Amino acid sequence: MCNSILPSNLLVVWKRQGKIYPRYIKKTKNNFEIALNLIDVYKNSVGKKKQVIKDRINEFEEHNYRFIRGLSILLDRRSLYKCNSAFDPKKLRYEVFELTGNFGPATTTEKRNQILEEASKKLELPIDKIENNIYADLDSELILMSFNPLAPEELLELYNLSLTQTMLFDSIELRFTTSHNWQKIFFKTKKLGLIYEASKNGELWVKIDGPNSIFKLNRRYGSNISKLLPLILKSSNWKIEAKILWKYTNEIYSFRIDSINHKDLFRIQNETEVYDSIVEADFGSRFQALKTKWDMKREPEPLIVGKHVMIPDFSFERDDVKVYMEVVGFWTTDYLIRKIKKLKEIKVKMLVAVDQSLACEALTQLKKRSSINILYYKKRIPLAPVLNFLKNSHKETHSKQLDFLKNLMINFTEPVVYFEEFAARIGVSAEAAREVIIQNPPENYVLWSKGLIRKEKVEQIKQKIDKEMKTERKIPLAVVMALLAEEGIDSTSVINSVGYKIIWRGLDIEKAEVVKP
Amino acid sequence: MVCISFDKGTLLIKGNVKTPYGKWDSRVGAYRAKSIYYLDILDYFIESNISFQDNVMKVPPIENMENKVSLRSYQKQALHNWNRNNKRGIIVLPTAAGKTYVALKAITDLKTQTLIVVPTLDLIDQWKNRIREFLDIDAGAIGGGKNSVRMVTVSTYDSAYLKASVLGNKFNFLIFDEVHHLASYSYMQIAEMFVAPYRMGLTATYERLDERHKLLPHLIGNIVFSLDVEDLAGKYLSPYIYEKIFVRLTDAEQKKYLAEMKIFRNYLKDKRIVMRSAQDFQKFIMLTGRDPRARKALLARNNAHKIALNSEEKIKLLGKQLESHLGAKTLIFTLHNDLVYMISRRFLIPSITYQTPKNERREILEKFKNGNYNTLVTSQVLDEGIDVPDASVGYILSGTGSSREYIQRLGRLLRKVEGKKAKLYEIVSKETVEVRISNRRSKKQKKVV
Repeated sequence: MCNSILPSNLLVVWKRQGKIYPRYIKKTKNNFEIALNLIDVYKNSVGKKKQVIKDRINEFEEHNYRFIRGLSILLDRRSLYKCNSAFDPKKLRYEVFELTGNFGPATTTEKRNQILEEASKKLELPIDKIENNIYADLDSELILMSFNPLAPEELLELYNLSLTQTMLFDSIELRFTTSHNWQKIFFKTKKLGLIYEASKNGELWVKIDGPNSIFKLNRRYGSNISKLLPLILKSSNWKIEAKILWKYTNEIYSFRIDSINHKDLFRIQNETEVYDSIVEADFGSRFQALKTKWDMKREPEPLIVGKHVMIPDFSFERDDVKVYMEVVGFWTTDYLIRKIKKLKEIKVKMLVAVDQSLACEALTQLKKRSSINILYYKKRIPLAPVLNFLKNSHKETHSKQLDFLKNLMINFTEPVVYFEEFAARIGVSAEAAREVIIQNPPENYVLWSKGLIRKEKVEQIKQKIDKEMKTERKIPLAVVMALLAEEGIDSTSVINSVGYKIIWRGLDIEKAEVVKP
Repeated sequence: MVCISFDKGTLLIKGNVKTPYGKWDSRVGAYRAKSIYYLDILDYFIESNISFQDNVMKVPPIENMENKVSLRSYQKQALHNWNRNNKRGIIVLPTAAGKTYVALKAITDLKTQTLIVVPTLDLIDQWKNRIREFLDIDAGAIGGGKNSVRMVTVSTYDSAYLKASVLGNKFNFLIFDEVHHLASYSYMQIAEMFVAPYRMGLTATYERLDERHKLLPHLIGNIVFSLDVEDLAGKYLSPYIYEKIFVRLTDAEQKKYLAEMKIFRNYLKDKRIVMRSAQDFQKFIMLTGRDPRARKALLARNNAHKIALNSEEKIKLLGKQLESHLGAKTLIFTLHNDLVYMISRRFLIPSITYQTPKNERREILEKFKNGNYNTLVTSQVLDEGIDVPDASVGYILSGTGSSREYIQRLGRLLRKVEGKKAKLYEIVSKETVEVRISNRRSKKQKKVV
């Protein structure tokens, strides 16, 4: 990835009451124009000296030099400069200085000419060519060979990202939550020698700092922390908090941004599902094609194991049943033992798919000793055993819940019961709740598609409807719905259950009527 | 059983024993301590009869080395003092007094895994060459794209800082060349994140303007030996003379100089800013980010300084001087690279700046050493540590107010050669800010002349 850190003297921030923010550049017309102008300078300078570009940029610096210089550094990184001299400047220097070594420094014009003439003879080059090219390889003399252009908007977004990353260089810790990319973020965290701590309080938040952080507030990890930023910003929803140790005042400030308020500031390439391995990609797409009732997620939210996390490759969700699957492509026995230990700790339903070509005796032994569910695969993960496992998990949970419900003395008192509400209260699936209740409905209640209504309540409703109907045997559906709403019922399906009928005249609800059969 | 191991630049102590300097790290469920306290913690275990398993050190293999170093008497004394101070401490010796040899001798005495930390890539090469010459082994190198760990390894401060979390348990002996660098906020963590019990710091210029050198005794040990240029000039270093030559700006330059300074001073006056210290100037610099007028004032001041530092009259005078010292090994120092290249083009003499390719730099220094080149113009890069052999005339055309820079530039001329008398000239523009800058840096000079 292109380096987007700016020199710290170009970082512009504002601080107030313990908070710090980079001075983000808004996408105003004026800023667009500045960006466009600078991009044009580079576009139009192909073939020119770096010094020429620098001088041109300096003219813009009048306004806000840190902003302008920041942009120009980002543009420089998209530029290719080369020494364009037809003659090797090093060779020219070598010959000339060698001669000076003999003649002594060119302290007079005569001596200078003498040295250059000798050099000219030796190099078979005119004197002016020597003088013009002797330092053609200096940075300021390099020629812009090509420039990789970008849109002004992109440049401003890139600049805002750079400001943030540059400020995070001075961070002592970072906390974040995100909707995607967990696996990549944790992988990189480890690779960068950082330490994370996960905690869940509604949202899953992760705090990142380094081993030395417990001894003192430490900026040491800031540069690595800033490298995580693009990964976090890539997902669709995120919140970030960081503590910044401002070096000029030695004070700690807090920095907060989130996707809701700040997303537009940055260059975001929304990541489509990217699979680490072909095996996973292949399985994912075949499973999705089946269109089952299971909601499959790739890289679901991490599971917390103590202070650490584990991110399974897939999660499958249906009703209240959640099942995970981990694909193990390459492994060692040691790795498996650790993994299984972790899995036991979190107590979730997990299927482990293991590449058969890598299977070994240790694995079979492990399988015997533990109750872990292992699925072997060759090249691709077969769908049938996975579906079977899901089905069984669902059934198992379901029948467990049925047993539980059947043994439960249910005593309803409220006038209206919704299956879903009831199920949630007890901690079973709505499906299971319905199944048990339908099998053995309480006597003083009437069943309807979403739940139960007490018989007295049904009578009340009937009376109310009849009263509205007066002598006619029909009234608009809307009137009945309003009546029901008063009773706390938000479903028309109850109407049939209490002995009335809805006559639909087209799809327009206004035209529908309720009749007494 | 208590188990102590190295974890990314820190010590991890597992086994539920509280140790001195240890701090409970709930993230991993163990005590953690700074690496610098390694010996203290081991001592504690031993004295308290706590049995422990030590998995800390992971050192490269021992290599057989020669010992071709012989020391002068003051170098012997320095090493003796350091040994007596539990093999910790700082040795302050002027440039060209042979600090390197004291360190090399210490390595051959200890025969243990050693990391030498140096400020520049050039110094890595220089140390490696010395180690090959006097110890007869190849040293490892870390920095500038190289990453090989050997029994004796040389690293830059930058790389040692960045890689402290993986290098920290690979060496028993740390040598910090130009140790005053170590006191900076980041670099001091090298000393904290390495476990090495033996530590040596070398410098010619111990004190720092920001006073942070006071942190060094905790990290490395106290000063165990210290000598000044005056102590050695004559016997071990060349005797030298020092002269300040003043030039007037040309009329055009003078006019431009005054105009630019006026812009700067008017701004300060308007804003009631008084410049008394480095911090005051820092504050002013911060203003330039927000206030376009401050920015203009700064640019005007810089232009004025440039006029004074790069005056045409200086160049003319330099020409005359070079003429009169023809044949003498001569170094010309400037502050800005522009001036380096201007002088190089004008007098057709080789130059060295930070932009000079490494190979070319080595070649130039080599040729300067063996006499193919007699004159060399350079900006700051030669200031520190690099051996430029037996130059006898030096010109300071421009510099900062730092007396460190001055001492180091002087040091370039003082390597002892029989019969040599070094001359250091400073060419200063009269009636400009440069006079004050020059006075600040050469405070020390009055003592020696």
